[in-house]
Amino acid sequence: MSEKYIIQIKNLTKIFGDGVEIKALDDVGLNIEQGEFMAIMGPSGSGKSTLLNQIGILDTPTSGTILLDGVDVTKMSDKQRSVTRNKQLGFIFQYHHLLPDFNALENVMMPLLINGVKRSEARKTASKMLEEVGLGDRMKHRPNQLSGGQNQRVAIARALVNKPSIVIGDEPTGNLDSKASDNIYELLRRLNREHNQTFILVTHDKHMAAKTDRTIQLVDGKICEDSRNGNGD
Amino acid sequence: MYELFIALRHLTSRRRQSIFSIIAVGLAVMLLMWSQAMMVGFTDEMYSKTVDTMMPHVTVEPQEGEDYIHLYRNLIENINEIDGVTSISPVLMGAATFEYKGKNKNVVMQGIRVEDHDSVMFINNNIVEGNFRDLEVSPNSVVVGDALAEKLDVEIGDTIDASFPEANPTNLKVVGIYNSKTPMDETLAFTSLSTVQDFLDVSNVVTTILVRGDDRERAQEISEEIDTLGYPAAGWKETNPEIIQTLKIEGTSNAITLGLIIIIASFGIVSTLFMSVMEKTKEIGMLMAMGVSRRSIMRIFVMESSILGLLGGLFGVMLGAAFAIYMGSYDYGFEVMAGISSIPFVVRIQDAVIIVLFTFLINLIAGIYPASRASKLKPVEAIGRD
Repeated sequence: MSEKYIIQIKNLTKIFGDGVEIKALDDVGLNIEQGEFMAIMGPSGSGKSTLLNQIGILDTPTSGTILLDGVDVTKMSDKQRSVTRNKQLGFIFQYHHLLPDFNALENVMMPLLINGVKRSEARKTASKMLEEVGLGDRMKHRPNQLSGGQNQRVAIARALVNKPSIVIGDEPTGNLDSKASDNIYELLRRLNREHNQTFILVTHDKHMAAKTDRTIQLVDGKICEDSRNGNGD
Repeated sequence: MYELFIALRHLTSRRRQSIFSIIAVGLAVMLLMWSQAMMVGFTDEMYSKTVDTMMPHVTVEPQEGEDYIHLYRNLIENINEIDGVTSISPVLMGAATFEYKGKNKNVVMQGIRVEDHDSVMFINNNIVEGNFRDLEVSPNSVVVGDALAEKLDVEIGDTIDASFPEANPTNLKVVGIYNSKTPMDETLAFTSLSTVQDFLDVSNVVTTILVRGDDRERAQEISEEIDTLGYPAAGWKETNPEIIQTLKIEGTSNAITLGLIIIIASFGIVSTLFMSVMEKTKEIGMLMAMGVSRRSIMRIFVMESSILGLLGGLFGVMLGAAFAIYMGSYDYGFEVMAGISSIPFVVRIQDAVIIVLFTFLINLIAGIYPASRASKLKPVEAIGRD
């Protein structure tokens, strides 16, 4: 296998079952390169989010392997998984899932603090990140004092502040109007170009998917289409 | 320590619940602190009314197989050198029958050195008539308890006949009457050491040596040192085990009751913590996604309950101590206990420290269950998809 793939997925199967078994992922194989900006599409229940959760090591597969940067995450201990999530992965969800008791700046500082960065250092890095997503003037606001789009920007800043090599987004714009969506998309795209981070986004939005470098279609837990969109650099 | 940062923020965000939790625990702790201060105060009072006045700290007996301590003056000199010993009284005890105008009564005669015995047993404080010191001045004199005086119908100046099988019968003039408010008043008579020695027809010997120290808690140490001098000695706790036992039983049942109250109050914290875990399911999932390990999730929630416990403990201890000090200084104007008109509260720092630690620990343990529930959430399920 080549070294250029940051994510290598082999024979990945995930079965949910409580009496009735549901194959959410069925023998999926997928290689993703460093710096790719890709979309996962598919109808409801096709396994998009399940695949994303597997890549984000938020869940464990029934069988198969996932290598992140060459390391098999399915064999990691809870502690190692936590460290990997903290340092290598950034998450953006449909709902921002910011910590409601903390202001924007503190939310963005959190991954750094978890990583053991000093408070003063974390504050500096996090403010810079917030400025980058255009919220330099909203740092002291709590999530309930910000709009949906603004909160999603804070969530993006939080996902990116630790300079993860992989950013995964589960319908990051699904909860926003089209203007806000476009803004978020532009932001993600810019960050992807500037930092060469890998972005994997689950989306329903064809318009948005078309602007990515690569789109895969999932149906019934299988990849049925994998296309390059010619938007790359 | 981002865990502490998160825990503190959680607590300050739901300020009202936190304050109520602290108050609930605080009130329970206050009760414990207050009752402990009262317990200690009463115990102290009881000791000062008994151990500190009515009984010797250490009692020295003759060597095994002997009836008397023969070289008691040497022994006294040696005991006097033991650290903490303040006074020593040699005593010769003998049984006698007292008779006065046809009435008689069996008694225990204690032959004593007046000064020495008073310094150990404070008998002089109990004299109600006559003079204790006359024992020393006039030979063949006696001090009797008021109950005994009543039984024999004797007054100061009367002469009692003392006799006993194998003893030399003698006459004893009553020079004093004491009242110790104990059953002793009916059976114990004091006379000089030489009077009892003549009565029993023995040489210069005694049957016991009574010792008092500067601190009743050191009685055991002193008695052990006397043991090494070759004479069996016993501290007041050994000679009066019932005192210790009574206090222990009372103290234990008290502590159990109040400990339970604190545990009940801590249950309040467990339930608020549970609610907070439920409320924060998504947040916990997100924290996990950000790389917080299960251990750290656990730590965050355990910290929350321990912080509440610690604050509740501190708050309660201060409140309880203040309450006790206030009530202790209050004069009720009537006797709440023999001879005292205020409740003798004693607030001890070590009690406060132990109570705070106990409360902290209970709440730490109480927090473990909800915290472990939080830590076992699966990140995917916790975050959900709505």
